[in-house]
Amino acid sequence: MELLDNLYIGLGVALQPMNLLFALIGCLIGTLIGVLPGIGPIATIAMLLPLTFHVEPTAGLIMLAGIFYGAQYGGSTTAILVNLPGETSSVVTCIDGHQMARQGRAGAALAIAALGSFFAGTVATMVIVLFAPPLAKIGASFGAPEYFSLMVLGLIAAVVLAHGSVLKAIAMIVLGLLLGLVGTDGNSGGTRFTFGINELTDGLDFAVMAIGVFGLGEIISNLMQPSAERSVLTQKITSLWPTRDDFRRAWPAVLRGTALGSILGILPGGGAALSSFAAYVLEKKVSKTPSQFGKGAVEGVAGPESANNAGAQTSFIPMLTLGLPGNAVMALMIGAMTIHGIQPGPQVMTERPALFWGMIASMWVGNLMLVIINLPLIGVWVQLLKLPYRFLYLCILLFCAIGVYTISNSASAVMIAAFFGVFGYMFARLECEPAPMVLGFVLGPLMEENLRKAMTVSSGDPMIFFQRPISLVLLILATVLLIIVAMPNIRSKREEAFQEG
Amino acid sequence: MKRLSAVVLAVVGLACGTVSANAQDKYPSKPVKILVPYAPGGATDIVARIIGEQMRQSLGQNFVVENKPGAFGIIAIEEMARSKPDGYTLMVGNVSTNAITPVIFPTKFKINYEKDIVPVGRLVDIPEFLLVTTTNNFPPKTHAELVDYAKQNKGKVRYGTVGVGSYPHYDMAYYAKKTGDLDMIAIHNKAGASGVIKDMMAGDAQAAFLNVASTAGMIKSGNLRPLALVNETRLPEYPDVPTMKEIGLPDVGTLAWQAMFAPAGTPKEVLEILQKASTAAMQTPAAQDAFKKQNFNVVPHKTLDEAKTWLAGELAQWKKITNEVKIEITD
Repeated sequence: MELLDNLYIGLGVALQPMNLLFALIGCLIGTLIGVLPGIGPIATIAMLLPLTFHVEPTAGLIMLAGIFYGAQYGGSTTAILVNLPGETSSVVTCIDGHQMARQGRAGAALAIAALGSFFAGTVATMVIVLFAPPLAKIGASFGAPEYFSLMVLGLIAAVVLAHGSVLKAIAMIVLGLLLGLVGTDGNSGGTRFTFGINELTDGLDFAVMAIGVFGLGEIISNLMQPSAERSVLTQKITSLWPTRDDFRRAWPAVLRGTALGSILGILPGGGAALSSFAAYVLEKKVSKTPSQFGKGAVEGVAGPESANNAGAQTSFIPMLTLGLPGNAVMALMIGAMTIHGIQPGPQVMTERPALFWGMIASMWVGNLMLVIINLPLIGVWVQLLKLPYRFLYLCILLFCAIGVYTISNSASAVMIAAFFGVFGYMFARLECEPAPMVLGFVLGPLMEENLRKAMTVSSGDPMIFFQRPISLVLLILATVLLIIVAMPNIRSKREEAFQEG
Repeated sequence: MKRLSAVVLAVVGLACGTVSANAQDKYPSKPVKILVPYAPGGATDIVARIIGEQMRQSLGQNFVVENKPGAFGIIAIEEMARSKPDGYTLMVGNVSTNAITPVIFPTKFKINYEKDIVPVGRLVDIPEFLLVTTTNNFPPKTHAELVDYAKQNKGKVRYGTVGVGSYPHYDMAYYAKKTGDLDMIAIHNKAGASGVIKDMMAGDAQAAFLNVASTAGMIKSGNLRPLALVNETRLPEYPDVPTMKEIGLPDVGTLAWQAMFAPAGTPKEVLEILQKASTAAMQTPAAQDAFKKQNFNVVPHKTLDEAKTWLAGELAQWKKITNEVKIEITD
């Protein structure tokens, strides 16, 4: 049994006391920086990078992976508690998770997020153990046309994200696309919408924008309230633990999220970012009560959180086998690997089985540690919400400023975040939801790059999108989704017609 | 009693330390900042951190790496050029940020690049391969076959680059020019070498110039095939891959150097200390080992003047190349 052999090798490495210790250190550091709003894992890992030069590569990578996971767990915590997404994936968690927190159910949201993530992590580990080599091939076969079609599907799904007006959702997506245009044009090298400001040459940073729109925007909105009503909590904190009903509603969402995340995670570049959005859309579509989404639906936390963690796990396949990092943390891990003379490539699996399987197994061990660390902490986090808002918002503001600064060690990033804070407040007043904008912002540049690349490959023939089978299937799915989105309108018009008749 | 004496000792030690530092006032007497124009994890960042760590050991002060990515390196270069020229703000840059950017984007600078910065010394060179994909029905197996194939399939061969005006872009454009004005198409990927490798795996690109360290894994697995090497000599790990000189194209390709820079007004004594310390840092076993694993060549300059002449030569060379292969870049 090759499968059992691999697992055995992996666990043998991961359970060595030294590696367990490094995993624990990583998880603790990760959780810590994850819950400090805005302080991302990148600055931390950069500081720790020289340390990994001196330790055995497996231990070093296990620690870096622990930080990555820990930060994701911690990042969900801030998204739920104070509406602060640290990375793309937690934007979706904000939508329903923060609403749950406001209703006094932060404990339930945090517990569901942690348990869902752990389950997803376990399944995704098994997926890697079983299918890593063939999955790596599928991921690598995704060319420009396939990516473009995937992004089209993602953008149409973004409309479903909104729970209010479809028109406003589309307007927000377009705004996101426009913001995504800022920076250097990939084909001509010219700069767009930078107004001669060098700091904008590489475009707007996702975290800077998200912290502004969500975190700072929320603070301004709250401060506009009369001071008596200025609290994160709108209702009393009920239970710290999810109810039986929560579990009943969450588990199918966790299953669906895990499946979706595992599949999207293997696509290098963009796959993992899409997973939580896709899971949210799926949950909203299959739900019998879609109107609850955006108002604290537990499925809206369970699905995306599981998808995100499963995707994060399987995104190690393209990272380890092709050297394709899914995010900045993974880029650092590749740096840590090359410094030890390990070249990412398909042969890592066969030539360094102890490293490969040890790392995979340690991720599962790390996830287990994180659940054990995080569940008892829920009580502590929830108590934080009882802090008077006049203290709480100052702390959030300070950490946001520090966090945004450390992303590129640049004061202009803080100014940009403040600018987007005003935007975030305006959106709240106009009842425009920022989530579709964020998706437009993330997908827009990827979509443009792949569209132009595909057209270059085909010498300007758009048929390339229909000739490639994967691309064709994705476009058909996009069309189906578009029809489903349009359906309620068709249906309601029909009902109106009947009533009048 | 033991604890008390320990405290006394520590205080006395501290006092002595301060006195001696004041008395000599020798550089460096406080931590030194090394700006890196890239996000953490890349080759330049790693070289800076390795050198910084070794210099800390020899000079006794921390060398703190600060990542200032953005605007093709201009943000880091300008910050360094504007900081106090006292040797406490340095920069480690590479051929892209410190030779190509000043040549192709002179108007984007608010400083005078050639006057406001000085090189402390070249640190390492990163050899580069001319590679093709082995899959996706791409037959060429040698440099000569690639040239023939590109001649027979005009406008059909696509090569990957890490961006418009990047050195892999210029290298291939220059290669195409020197081998008979080949008509090939550039496919840009902002995600760096790994992005280009992805494009080559998926069939979006078929050839590229990429550095040895990033491609070694994919070569070993048979997904990429090196046709020629940009380096002075062949590499022991790749005895069959000829150098550019051997295939008759000695000036094609970029040996991507990493070098240390300082603000122009930095006192000569300080620059001398830095030059000696950085040279010594690269000779330490730890640094040698780390560089060797990644196929980086250690190429220190012997004197500051040598470094100056070298940088001037690099800028002149890039002016020549960018004049010869006109890549249109919207400024």
